[in-house]
Amino acid sequence: MADIPLPRGFTAAKMSQAQKAFEAALGADKVFFTDLDRTAYEDKFAIDDARHHPAGAIAPTSVEEVQAAVKIANQFRLPLWPISRGKNLGYGTSAPELAGSVVLDLSRMKRIEFDEANGVVTLEPGVGFYDLYDYLQQHKLPFWLSTPGNSWGSVIGNALDRGVGYTPYGENTKNFCGMEVVLPTGEVVRTGMGAFSNAPTWGLYPFGFGPAWDQMFVQSNFGIVTKANMWLMPEPESLMGMDVEYDKPEDIKAMIDTIGPLRRERVLQQSPSIGNWLRAAAVLTRRTDWTDKPGALGDDVIDAIRKKFAIGWWGVSLRLYGREGVNKAAYTILENAMNAIKPLSIKPTSWVKGQPMEYSGWTGTPMTFPMQNINWYGGRGGHIGFSPLLPQDGTAALAQFKRTYARYKEYGMDYQGSFAFGERHLINVNAMIFNKDDPKMMSRIDPFFRQLVADAKAQGYGEYRTHLDYMDLVATTYDWNGGALRKLNEKVKNALDPNGILAPGKSGIWPTNYAGERKA
Amino acid sequence: MSRFAIAALAALGLASVAMAQGMPKPTTLVDRPSATGGEKLYVEHCAMCHGPNGMGTGLLGRRVQPALLEQRSGLAAQYVIMAARRGIGNMPPITRGEVSDADLKQIADYLAAGPHPSPSGAAK
Repeated sequence: MADIPLPRGFTAAKMSQAQKAFEAALGADKVFFTDLDRTAYEDKFAIDDARHHPAGAIAPTSVEEVQAAVKIANQFRLPLWPISRGKNLGYGTSAPELAGSVVLDLSRMKRIEFDEANGVVTLEPGVGFYDLYDYLQQHKLPFWLSTPGNSWGSVIGNALDRGVGYTPYGENTKNFCGMEVVLPTGEVVRTGMGAFSNAPTWGLYPFGFGPAWDQMFVQSNFGIVTKANMWLMPEPESLMGMDVEYDKPEDIKAMIDTIGPLRRERVLQQSPSIGNWLRAAAVLTRRTDWTDKPGALGDDVIDAIRKKFAIGWWGVSLRLYGREGVNKAAYTILENAMNAIKPLSIKPTSWVKGQPMEYSGWTGTPMTFPMQNINWYGGRGGHIGFSPLLPQDGTAALAQFKRTYARYKEYGMDYQGSFAFGERHLINVNAMIFNKDDPKMMSRIDPFFRQLVADAKAQGYGEYRTHLDYMDLVATTYDWNGGALRKLNEKVKNALDPNGILAPGKSGIWPTNYAGERKA
Repeated sequence: MSRFAIAALAALGLASVAMAQGMPKPTTLVDRPSATGGEKLYVEHCAMCHGPNGMGTGLLGRRVQPALLEQRSGLAAQYVIMAARRGIGNMPPITRGEVSDADLKQIADYLAAGPHPSPSGAAK
């Protein structure tokens, strides 16, 4: 049997005692401490396979069992790492930041309740996008999801990490309306109107009375979300839009300066994502289909890819949701605006209720096929993303693209970039696809990532979300006033979690007893 | 270009296509009203990747046919269990928290009894 990874100050005997305590509280069938279990909970897309190994995992099935697990963790001073379904591929999957933590796997908590009159669903963390999609159809509920490119994971887990979808409800974390949370000391709280006994408005009014805490439990280690209300989009009467292609890399400036005002004005209410040619090629083909040359793809290969798929250097899909008459009027505005900046092509799409449906992210259909991109280089594939936040400014975005594209060439990596709109911001997602069986390539990933963080920091751009390896690094870039925000986060952390048992290191937030584990 | 490829491009927001040409509908339990036992568990836990528009189907289709696991013959139950628990190729391991040993055995036995060209209750 391999050595069990242990947190600092732990012994194998003490871990064995903790395991027995979990088995007594939850039952042996919810406690997983074999070598194979530990391997299964590691990060499938790890850049460094030696990091983030858990000691084991437990899978409670009720809030009472979560409380029991938290009580044991406090008794043993044992760090827990909560996951919803553990499908956060590219950000750490199910693995903990701190090696030796026990994964608190909530994937067996799968209850769904639905308030059809108000379009509010109450979910436990184990409910995946496919589960909820199925539930809506089983009960013939006229609502659409907001699904990410990898919809294997948890609905509320995705929103808790600020994942995004492509409909008007695409900023998923904004759809929270009240949570149930187990605090690190074991108490259960409900946020918003959930604090008011028997209030019929828990899922309707997100703020309650006094401070509103939902976002405090997002990307944090302040509590374990065991239940959350989320708003779903009513099925629209009409869906219209267009797929638009542009020819040159420099066209990104005009695209952003054209789409941004329409988004801010809310003519466009969904969150479009401008992407380059590799987004198609990496999903549908392998690199060896195009070239055997090392280094970043040359313009000759890029031209061949574009020709085969009849796409531009950049492409974007714009969609309008709602009443047909309104959509038709808005479509004319979009068409005129996009034509004014000379696209390669504009292809309209149109759907009204009752017609055959497009099964894509635009209709909130769950999907996993975009993850086929990890086979681009062959071998055991994976990816991480570097995703800084930018203003909706074409000149700034073009400059950021040029800097980043030059770095991809310098490090010999194929460029997969996109600019995803929020209402006032852009998320510039730069995917790094890799082959874990290519040691030379893998040795370039970490310095490449760190270079991109430094480049972006110099421009004032910070990441919105990151892989376990870089949580401390990214946290250090949020440095205003001597890192005052991190100091506040850790003051809150120490107050709520005096034994430091809950997800130490998440988002660069370390409790005092593990402060020595911080990396940069 | 294949119809799947065109539809996939559309779904990725990178090319246009008439909606009628779109991706196949994901398979979930509502499409298999008569499914029980291993088949039901397979649809619940595996079909998102190994259904008609799943990542697993897409990648397996590059090197083996049929790409849909339910249509395969000669899948040994123990092999299915090992592949699920350890991961294989680009497939991540499936943890015991997500799928218990008892449920995985039922799934493996169902696949080992394949091929299942017309699964029970499936929309024809």
